[in-house]
This record gives sequence, structure tokens and C-alpha cells, in this order.
Amino acid sequence: MLASRSSAARSASRLARNFATVVDTAGVKVAAVDNGEPTSAVTFLVKAGSRFESKPGVAHALKGFAFKSTEKRSFLGTIREAELYGGVLSTSLTREHLAFTAEFLRGDEPLFVDIISSFIKSAKYTRHELDEYVVPVCEAESTTAFSNPAIRALDLAHLLAFRTGLGASPFTSPGTHVSVEDVKAYAQNVFTPGNLAVLGTGIDAATLQKLVEQSLGSLSSASAPTSSPSSYFGGETRIEAHGAPETIFIGLGTTGAPSAELAVLSAHLDPTPSVKWSKGTSPIAAGVPEGISVKTVLLPYSDAALYGILIQGESTEGVKAASKAAVAALKASGDLKGDDLKKAVAKAKFAAASALDGRDNLVFALGAQAFGSPASLDSTISNLDKVNASAFSKAATSFVKAKPTYVAIGDIKRLPYADELGL
Amino acid sequence: MVLSGPLGPSLAPAILKTRGLYRWMKPIADWYANLAGYRKVGYKYDDLLVEEREDVQRALTRLTPREAYDRQFRLKQASHCSVLHDVLPKEKWTKPEEDVRYLKPHVENVEKEALERRAWDNMVLSKK
Repeated sequence: MLASRSSAARSASRLARNFATVVDTAGVKVAAVDNGEPTSAVTFLVKAGSRFESKPGVAHALKGFAFKSTEKRSFLGTIREAELYGGVLSTSLTREHLAFTAEFLRGDEPLFVDIISSFIKSAKYTRHELDEYVVPVCEAESTTAFSNPAIRALDLAHLLAFRTGLGASPFTSPGTHVSVEDVKAYAQNVFTPGNLAVLGTGIDAATLQKLVEQSLGSLSSASAPTSSPSSYFGGETRIEAHGAPETIFIGLGTTGAPSAELAVLSAHLDPTPSVKWSKGTSPIAAGVPEGISVKTVLLPYSDAALYGILIQGESTEGVKAASKAAVAALKASGDLKGDDLKKAVAKAKFAAASALDGRDNLVFALGAQAFGSPASLDSTISNLDKVNASAFSKAATSFVKAKPTYVAIGDIKRLPYADELGL
Repeated sequence: MVLSGPLGPSLAPAILKTRGLYRWMKPIADWYANLAGYRKVGYKYDDLLVEEREDVQRALTRLTPREAYDRQFRLKQASHCSVLHDVLPKEKWTKPEEDVRYLKPHVENVEKEALERRAWDNMVLSKK
């Protein structure tokens, strides 16, 4: 048992070393890993998430402008060419990063690297594209996102927890106006070599480096935007909503690089059962009434982390009972020791390792490495191994002492207040 | 395409190519533009562009709010002149330097996009 476990850890670290080659090419960080996939994917990861935005909604608008007309090809030309080669172009925006991704068959990399890099270098940002395509899509995305109470709760929780910086939402809030000049200025600011990482999966590293050097060689190096270091505040808010599950988010935040103890705490409290149709062994799971979903959310950022428990259900009474169980478990988590601690550490290790499964996750792990975050799988696993009862109890008690972030969405007359739950 | 395009047939590109011809034609063109009389009711040349077409309608949506407002004002002013069977007082006439093609670039862009779409739609693939 023990032997097999250590061999698993070894092979996981071998994988981590496999892709640990970040090369500076024309000032841009390039990393690639080829595990023999039948298709390739290239992601241009830019430190241009909503925390860096100069004006609310600019990052979202810049995401919307992706693959629109450039000096090299028109909007339609980009799409038709990608379709002809059978590739998929996509974008994603988080609070930290803006990612442009192209997935394609092996051998088509010159075209797709060129499509993304010509957008980075010479996008036109025309006013009519903003009005005709970007703004309607941004509005639709925001409306869809905010109609989901879980996303809304997490968005508000970030605002309460971090206020500025990480508090900025990656979705445009209704009523904000962004002009083309704003987007252009933001793009000029963020598309600088030091701010950019090119990550490939299923592609040879040397090929990717050559293509990046050709296409991004002449990128101007202005100063990148900075975000003030995060600080944690916490607070409480209640939003009336109907026709969606009653939602409560109980969150706690820390600043500084995300710690191993937090990952262990999250694994300990996570009520998701490891076996289907069973109740998990988490201390929360026993107190959750039928029909109520409880999820733990751990959102690590480069200089802060938000950890929380998201409780959703149709009845306010059920949500209240589950919240009470969650708060009690959170408060008691400092006493974790012995086998329970070992179990939580093992679960956290598995979560950290399996987070590298799948192309998207692998790309984000590569990206974190390219931007100099120390959180490689090697170090994460060894840090988790080092967690012991006293260190964990110290970290958990101080963590729980912080002012909580509490968001209630739904029937606010009947949903509990934070102090009623004993927070 | 030139004949059926939103801007109509024009010899201007050919004339602009030859410096001498342009110098010779320019006074005639200025004289004709003044004679046409649209400047006397406050119009710019692009206000007269046929707008009952999809492509021009799309181009009109691309004007800045200010340009769109001014265009509406000129249309209203000119239709008022038409009601009164009169022209504007001389100081309100459109000056030649004000008579700029504010809509033409947008119309050209829309036309170019339509042509590109047609080219992509009718593309024939061949193996290299």
C-alpha cells in the first residue's frame, strides 16, 4: 500500500519534470509538452485578467475582441481559415489571466500561431466590431453568468473579500460602458513580452519556439500593468433572487501564496463522496439534509486565496441546516489529527495531481510555471507531505479567526444571517 | 460590381491617377458640385447617397453618434427648405471644405466585407 503510493508520487513528479522547461524566446516565455496527443493546442496566456483592468469591463471586452480583424486578416477570414484547417479557437478570462487558445491537427501550427500572434500584434479594434459583435456577446455572457446564483455568489464574495484587484469581476456588470480607445489602451499595456506566455501541448517545444520567435519577435516592450497586492477584508451581503436555488456562500480568505494547509482543509471538509451514491466521510456530509448540495470551493491566486463552502438547495430550512453543519465543521477543523489528517492529506495530494489531467488544466499549470509561480506539482506534493497536526491546527485556527465573507442569494427574508450561523 | 455597388459608377479613380487630367478636371468638378445645388440646402454629398440598400444601412450604423445626429439635422433642414420652396441663407450653405465624404469609407468597408464573404462562400478547394 505504502510502496504503491510512493511510486505514484514518483511518477507524478516525473511528469512534472517533463514539462518544466520554460524558455525565453524574444522575451516571451515559451513552454511546451508533448505527450503524443493526436492534436496540438497552443495557448497564449496573458497576465491581463480582470484584476489588472484599468476600467471595469475592459478585460472582458478585450476577450470579446479576440480573433476579430487584424492587419493581416479580417474577422471572417480568421474564422473561415480556422474552419478550413479544422481548428478550434477559444478564449477564456479569469481574474488573473486572459487566454487565447487554438486547438488543431498536428502540422497546422504555423497558421494557428500566426492567427493568435497577429491578433496580439496588430488587432484593429474597430468601433463597429465593438458595437456589432463584442458588446452584445459580452452582455449575453454576463447575463447568463449572473443568472446562475453560484457564479453570482462567488463574484460578490470576491468583491467583499478583496474589494479592489481580485475583487474586479471578469464579467461586465450591466450599465458599464467601454470604448474602443479603452480597449486599445489596455491591449497595448498588457500585450508586452514579459506579460505573455506561450504554452503548447502536443507540440514540439523547438517548433513552437521558432514560430513564436518569427511572429512575436518585434513585440514592443512597454511596462506591464501592475495590480496592488491583495489584502483580505471579508463582509456580508444579501441579494434577493427568485426562480433559482437558494444559495449561501461562506468564505474565508488569506493573502500570500496559497498554502498546503488550506488545500488539506479543503480536502477534509469536501463532502463529495469518493464512491457514487454514498455519503462522504467529511464532517459536513452527516449534517446535510436531503436535496441540498454542498460544495467546497478553493480558489488559489498568485498572492491570495479564497476558500469557501457553497450551499445550494430549494428549501431555505434545508440550506440553513446545512450551513450550520458547515460552519460547525469549519470551526472544529483545527482539531484534525491522526488518520483523519492523513486521509485529508492523501485526498489533497490526489486533487493536486489529478488537477494536471486534461489539456486545460495542464496548460494552466504550465502557465503558472511560466509566470514564475513556485507551485509545481513536485513542490505541492512535498509541501502536502510536510503538513502535520500541529502546523495544520495552527493554520486552521488562525484561518477560521479571520472575518468571514458571507453571501446569501435567494429568499433573503428567510435565509439565515451570518451571526445566526455562529460565524 | 462597380455599376451595381452602393456608390454607383465613377470615373474619379481613373482621373485621379493622371495629375494633368486631375488639374484640368478639378475646376469643372467644383463648378458642377456647386451647380448641383445640394450645398445650398445644407447637404453634404454623402447625404445624397442612395440609402435604401442593406449595405448602406449597415454603413449608417457605423457613424459616430455625432455624425449620425448631424446627418439627421441636415436631412431635416433640407426637407424644411423643400417645404418652403426656398434655399438657405447664403451663410448657411455647405462650404466646399465642409463637404467631406463622411459615409464613403464605411460604405466601402461594408462592400469589401460583403465581397470577401462572397469570395469565401464560393471558394474552390484544391490539393497542393
